[in-house]
Amino acid sequence: MKILTRTAVIATGIVALAASAPALAVDCPVKLGGIAPLSAPGAVTGGEAQRMGMQIAVEAINAGGGVLGCEVELVMGDTEGLPEKGTALFEKLISQDNVAGIAGGYHSSVGIAGKEVAHDKGVPVIFASTWNDQITATKLPEVFRVAPLSSEASALYWKFAASIPGTEKVVIVTENTDYGIPAAEETEKGLESVGLASTTFAVDIGTQDFSGIVQRVNAEGPDAIIVLLTGEASFNFQQQAAENGIGPGDLPFVCDILAAESASFWENVPDGNYCFVGQFGLPEALYNDAAKAFAATYKERTGKEAVESYAIEAYDAIGLLAAAIQQAGSTDGAAIIAALEAIEYDGALGTVSFPYGQGNDTAAAGVEDKFWHQFLDPALMIFQYQEEGQKAGDAPIVFPDTYKTGDAVFVNQ
Amino acid sequence: MEHSIIFWPVVLWMIAWGVVGSVVTPRVFLRRDMDISNASLAGAFVGAASGPFGLAPLWYLAPKSTRGWVLLSAAGALAILIAAFALADPDNVCVTNGSLVASQVANGLVMGTIYALMAMGLTLIFSILRVVNFAHGEFYMVGGMSVYYVSAVWLPEMPPAAAVLVACGITFVIGGAFERLFLTPMYDGRVERPIEYAVLVTFGLVFFLQYFVQALAGASPVKAQRFFDFPIIRLPSAEDPWLIKTSKANLQLFDTVSVSNPRFTAAVISVLVLLGLLFFLYRTWWGKALRAVSQDRQAAAVAGIDPNKMNMLAFALGGMLAGLSGAVLVQAFSWVPQVGMLPALRSFVIVVLGGLGSLPGAFIGGIIVGMVEAAGTGCIPDPQRAASYIPAYGMLILTLTLLLKPTGLFGRRE
Repeated sequence: MKILTRTAVIATGIVALAASAPALAVDCPVKLGGIAPLSAPGAVTGGEAQRMGMQIAVEAINAGGGVLGCEVELVMGDTEGLPEKGTALFEKLISQDNVAGIAGGYHSSVGIAGKEVAHDKGVPVIFASTWNDQITATKLPEVFRVAPLSSEASALYWKFAASIPGTEKVVIVTENTDYGIPAAEETEKGLESVGLASTTFAVDIGTQDFSGIVQRVNAEGPDAIIVLLTGEASFNFQQQAAENGIGPGDLPFVCDILAAESASFWENVPDGNYCFVGQFGLPEALYNDAAKAFAATYKERTGKEAVESYAIEAYDAIGLLAAAIQQAGSTDGAAIIAALEAIEYDGALGTVSFPYGQGNDTAAAGVEDKFWHQFLDPALMIFQYQEEGQKAGDAPIVFPDTYKTGDAVFVNQ
Repeated sequence: MEHSIIFWPVVLWMIAWGVVGSVVTPRVFLRRDMDISNASLAGAFVGAASGPFGLAPLWYLAPKSTRGWVLLSAAGALAILIAAFALADPDNVCVTNGSLVASQVANGLVMGTIYALMAMGLTLIFSILRVVNFAHGEFYMVGGMSVYYVSAVWLPEMPPAAAVLVACGITFVIGGAFERLFLTPMYDGRVERPIEYAVLVTFGLVFFLQYFVQALAGASPVKAQRFFDFPIIRLPSAEDPWLIKTSKANLQLFDTVSVSNPRFTAAVISVLVLLGLLFFLYRTWWGKALRAVSQDRQAAAVAGIDPNKMNMLAFALGGMLAGLSGAVLVQAFSWVPQVGMLPALRSFVIVVLGGLGSLPGAFIGGIIVGMVEAAGTGCIPDPQRAASYIPAYGMLILTLTLLLKPTGLFGRRE
């Protein structure tokens, strides 16, 4: 009964849209592509969370009557976090599986490669957790994004680093990808703008052994460390740094967002207490009804105590696609894109819309191109683990003041 | 680099005379009807270290054994390179920070020892079966996964040492069973192209083990807890522990060398296993039999050794050594079903560098690769590139070795 109630809440938005949409003949079921890193070197923990988010979304949509009178079928694919795999997956989903649209995505490299395929085939894609600014800045009609921009996420990090008392030098450890390099550059620029020195170390995705880099980071004598790695590489660096005396217990240390997956984080980084973690999306206390309903189902299915931002983003990406198809009354790519440009979707992230696009060009509006088809209101904050084994949902939000629920502990003060 | 005008001319000088030495020395030796198997290597090192001043006496004396010349000139070339680097980049962290250098050397030795253990398994298999086991990285992965599941999931009370033994047992059995089931067709003529068959069948094992483990355990990273925490030690005194200082996760010696607990444990176990392996190979009948088969299969058979049994033993033992490497490192790294790919690649580099089928070569090769990786990561001036090139450092050494000594450092011609 509980599940049915939740499902009803989740499906409400889509059903409301359905009432106003013309019912046209489409091939059933309506297929939607889901992309996520489900094996290494991709961020598997994040990919599995996204897959679950998308599955719950599809089940809710079908429980609410589906789309255009058809069941929705989710065709999942594994990007492995690699651009070449992502390109092949986009080709397969569009040409072989005939999906009406694609949702999901975690690694920016995959997003940058895959968007070109979507553009060539005229199929809409809603990226859930790929941050690179260029993904939307290229202004492709088919490309939409509900994740924050890399520059916005970087701004959160450097502003937080600047707020740490006594910080003069920051070390950034990043990955050689379309996410890591621009994110590090933007963070460096931001730090420089507030008079902080920084050094960036870059490694390949999937790196295991950080011992040499940890020694070099140590030799730099940083006051704070920011980790922009993804996948198990982030766990490896964080734990190896802790074992060498420059971990979260020794100095202010911003871990990768994957640390939001508490169980996996504590198993892989047992010395990670006092880690600061970026969170993108509202804290649970501020969830709307859709987010509460999703969170309850998600926690029940996964056994987790908190919901990661990338799971919510993937959930809403599927919901958006389904709502746009319903509104368009068709699975035609151009019609779905037009519907997405006009949409006001009440999802778990809040009311999602894309104010800048073909009808309201960024150049004409006087805003940067990166805001093309970009959700403009993602909530960005930092929480801190303050007890060993603490659940992400129980950890206090320490930055910025707008969302603050507790004070930060700066271990080196 | 501040004064690259110093560094690059020195490097070019060394390369130029190294090339001259490697090309001319074999011709000089050949003209005197001498063995030229080490001539290129000796000429290259002597040329790089001392230019015409070393090459002239080498060509004039044309010594029968060039081992001393190689070792001395290799050390000399390394010293010149380091000196040129220090003069060219005096502010480099490797020049100014002795503590970093000491830690990198210690780390290179530690990781090199573990690399060596894994590579010895690969070379053992090749020396007996003449098969390159492409699934070597998957044995490494299975070893680590076994320790994780035994010590963290199934039997959390079990001591880590017992979990490592279980992992050894599992990988030994997988290796032995695989050899019996899939490699025996190579020996009795049931397959037309045995070498290609071995490549395909071991590749098949790669995919089978990766996806089988992924289906069973999932693809999310897991990690075993540290086997033990260091006791807190402060020597000579708690106020000034310049000799030894430990935390539960780290050991610091002389206020400079820093080694993390999981690596220290892994290195100690690796050294013990290497000693045990040497004892097994040189002091037991089975070990001697394995070596005999690796040296001359037919002669060993005439002496009453069953080469087929040795095939099984070698494959099982080789897989077990890879599994053991994984078993001791699963407390240091996060573990996923694809975790064996990079270590396997590194093992291939080490084995070819040391000489296919040579156990001492695998050991020395492992140490060399470990040290070169540590030096590269620590000293490359650009921090954005230093760690990105990690896989390339070993490849560079391998390429140079193959150019100068195609059989590898300790390899022998068939």
